Amino acid sequence: MTRKISFKTAINEALDLEMTRDPSVIMLGEDIVGGCGAPGEADAWGGVLGVTKGLYAKHGNRLLDTPLSESAYIGAAIGAAACGMRPVAELMFIDFVGVCFDQIFNQAAKFRYMFGGKARTPVVIRTMVGAGFRAAAQHSQMLTPLFTQLPGLKVICPSNAYDAKGLLIQAIRDDDPVIFCEHKNLYSAECDVPAESYTIPFGEANVVREGKDVTIVSYGLTVHRALDAATTLAQKDRIEADVIDLRTLSPIDWDTVLESVEKTGRLVVVDEANPRCSIATDVAAYVAQHAFGALKAAPQMVTAPHTPVPFSPSLEDLYIPTADAVVAAVGKTIARAKAA
Amino acid sequence: MPPKVGVIANPISGRDIRRVIAKANSLQIADRANIVVRLLAGLAACGVEDVVMMPERGGLAGHALRQMAQSAVRGNARFPSVSFIEMPVTGTAADSRIAAKAMSAMDVGAIIVLGGDGTHRAVAAECGATPIAGVSTGTNNAFPEIREPTITGYATGLVASGAVPKEIGLKPNKWLEVRIDGGPAEIALVDVALVSQQNLGARALWRTETFRELYVAFADPQLIGMSAIAGLIEPVGRDERHGLMLRLAPASVAPLVVQAPIAPGLVEPIGVEQWRRLPAGQPIAPDLAAGSIALDGERELTFHSRQNVSIRLVENAFDTIDVAAVMRFAATKGLLRERNKACV
Amino acid sequence: MSNNPFPLSSEDLMRAYRTMRTIRDFEERLHVEFAKGDIPGFVHLYAGEEACATGIMMHLTDIDRIASTHRGHGHCIAKGVDVHEMMAEIYGKATGSCRGKGGSMHIADLSKGMMGANGILGAGAPLICGAALASRFRGDRGVGITFFGDGAANQGTVLESMNLAAAWNLPVIFVVENNGYAESTSVEYATAVDSYVDRASGFGMPGVTVDGMDFFAVHEAAGEMIARARDGGGPALLECNVARFFGHFEGDAQTYKAKGENDYNRENRDCLKIFRDRVCDAGAATRHDFALIDLEVASLIDAAVISAKNAALPQARELLTDVYVAY
Repeated sequence: MTRKISFKTAINEALDLEMTRDPSVIMLGEDIVGGCGAPGEADAWGGVLGVTKGLYAKHGNRLLDTPLSESAYIGAAIGAAACGMRPVAELMFIDFVGVCFDQIFNQAAKFRYMFGGKARTPVVIRTMVGAGFRAAAQHSQMLTPLFTQLPGLKVICPSNAYDAKGLLIQAIRDDDPVIFCEHKNLYSAECDVPAESYTIPFGEANVVREGKDVTIVSYGLTVHRALDAATTLAQKDRIEADVIDLRTLSPIDWDTVLESVEKTGRLVVVDEANPRCSIATDVAAYVAQHAFGALKAAPQMVTAPHTPVPFSPSLEDLYIPTADAVVAAVGKTIARAKAA
Repeated sequence: MPPKVGVIANPISGRDIRRVIAKANSLQIADRANIVVRLLAGLAACGVEDVVMMPERGGLAGHALRQMAQSAVRGNARFPSVSFIEMPVTGTAADSRIAAKAMSAMDVGAIIVLGGDGTHRAVAAECGATPIAGVSTGTNNAFPEIREPTITGYATGLVASGAVPKEIGLKPNKWLEVRIDGGPAEIALVDVALVSQQNLGARALWRTETFRELYVAFADPQLIGMSAIAGLIEPVGRDERHGLMLRLAPASVAPLVVQAPIAPGLVEPIGVEQWRRLPAGQPIAPDLAAGSIALDGERELTFHSRQNVSIRLVENAFDTIDVAAVMRFAATKGLLRERNKACV
Repeated sequence: MSNNPFPLSSEDLMRAYRTMRTIRDFEERLHVEFAKGDIPGFVHLYAGEEACATGIMMHLTDIDRIASTHRGHGHCIAKGVDVHEMMAEIYGKATGSCRGKGGSMHIADLSKGMMGANGILGAGAPLICGAALASRFRGDRGVGITFFGDGAANQGTVLESMNLAAAWNLPVIFVVENNGYAESTSVEYATAVDSYVDRASGFGMPGVTVDGMDFFAVHEAAGEMIARARDGGGPALLECNVARFFGHFEGDAQTYKAKGENDYNRENRDCLKIFRDRVCDAGAATRHDFALIDLEVASLIDAAVISAKNAALPQARELLTDVYVAY
């Protein structure tokens, strides 16, 4: 049965289904129950934005509110994973990774290799990413490139409720550590989602719009900006864009990207992360290296500027890549091609 | 010459297994340092300008000096100058013994001891005629009394300076001597317990089924530890001329059972077969053929069936400062007050 | 062997000695082999601290988990990791515990409950909280032990983990191996409150200090703590005061130590000598019994070194394997 539900509900549903299916799935995080030990309702919050609301009532003590000690509880989730559990730890905002990064990149990411293939660390770290919430520099970042840089981690960043559910179920069943990035400005976005359980394999990008003239690659919230841009381009300039939603950043689906660029000859990458050493530079470099002959113009990148995320709404709106910026970038690839 | 006082503060007392097998507390190092500072304030109030301390590596002196320096910055500090004995630091009870011997040799007026029964035992063994004043910071303490350290500092200063005569300010103490095969005497200030367990392990006593014999110099029903067993049967004062000896057995087979607080928060049924007074001066040979000997609650020695153990209660073994008597005398004689000439 | 006053069977006494002797010989031999230049990388030796690892590990089975440190060889051996595989790992060979991909600082054997030596100080504490949490969910009565030094005791991870373990009443024992030096920096200098037991008090858990060179003291204290944790009594901290016979790493000239410190410790605080003397004096074993174990261990270490030296290096394709279970 398929209904329209929000991204947030889809996440909740995925967690519920997996906790029901597999007793080794447990959840740890700050305020994921949201009220443990407090005089009022035990699960008053269900996550700071209510994403895990209702799960405590169904799964009880398999959800653990934690002290505000990211190193300790993210590390504990990793340790429990190495001992056969399938913990889903919530790092409230990806910006908080600074206080627990060692456990993620020196421990979880390296166990398997360092221990000669003997370890499995099936931990999922769910975390909120992205700007647009007026939450300023320490609660708004798109730090996906920090994680894609590291072998041993898988990095997922869905753009819609359907993908969120299928990818999260896949992440929980996956035997490697997964950083699961949820864009906070997508939580209320709805789409058709089956009620039952399903998985979406990692490393498969989604072509969300087909076109022959230009390839626009993105992930997360900016997929929607890319789609808006594609609509504008089609309506105004009769330029048809292939829009690719990467969905999973590590592993990444190079085949779909290359196939599209070979068809269109033009590449625009849209990434909410800062521009240096980002998903945008990674995709551009890969395409330049592997499909140079197919390119009719230099690849273009639309990213946040190389600044922290500003607070004032007027500035923050300038920070986030817009559909107009994507249209302009596409324009550059067409203009260049014409000039050539 | 203004009087000099020694301070031996054991930074590591009270960290033994009684925190796990019982409910013993753990006095933190900053609190211990604070006790030292309070003592020093009391000493200074009574004219002591020089204090010599045992060096240690537990951080206690460092904390105390820091606290004093902080007070000095605020301009509200009056403390004696503090120096440290030159000696190697091992971090064991041997340090307390070496320091006590050195202080006694340098003629300090008194030695203040911070620690539990073990630290007091180490100091008492080496202090000779120098009186000691005890401050309890250990766990299983029967020997040192619990008192505000500022007042202990006052009383010690009054005795060390001669303001209060020794006949008033000092009182003699008993101790128990233990010898194996006529070797050097080991002492206990409160109790000697013989247990059938023939190994030292983590030192503390809590396996009650192994308890066999108990010898006490004094027995106070208000105190905890092995001497509490005796205290609950027949109290013996610190100033009485005898001690007590008891034969113990597992509670299931003994004719008499005492619910004794053998460690903080640990109340256990202890079987008692018989008891009698322990006269001073007479060596006693225990019945137990082999086992270990706990001095003031800590397993320290093991012995086997081919060895001869003897235990003796000794009177007038060492002097302690009678803080209550000193303070009463000082108050009565007006030693701690002066007329304000500006108001005459 | 009729007279055994110790709380261990005669077999366990000998097993404990064999473990301590194996650690000692393993480390002494690495010291020699490292000087020859045959061993790549960093090696941190545990010699001197054997009673600590052994006294604790005698209470554990494979269901119990430990998180070790950069100085992890002793923990590995005491937890039952194969000595041949360890030696081969340290030589970077394909037959090593981690197929040559971890090295001295990352030896692990999860099947033995050994969750890894760790190159990051204090990193094991959160992991072992997770192991203990897993044991609680599974109901297997497993206990987690995390080892760290007096230096790593100042890491936030350790303090956060102590709070987490206390708040959740996890079966975790925090073991501070206090050898007086954080690499070259003294405890007195670097630690504001030198007593690690005070840290435990701060989190409302019991803390106990023992002479870590005395196997029987460690064994008894650890036994009580582990049994308490296993029964649901909660976490505890054990501070073992130990002496490190070698430097922080091999090649360390140790000029920060007092003159004669190592000689003094080897002469007066050697946990193997103390153990052997005490057991012999009690009549629970003879010098001959110990000498036999010494011989057996010496030949085991010899064989491990020879086979490690002769073992094949990892194949080039191993560079790319085992990053992920599937990718």
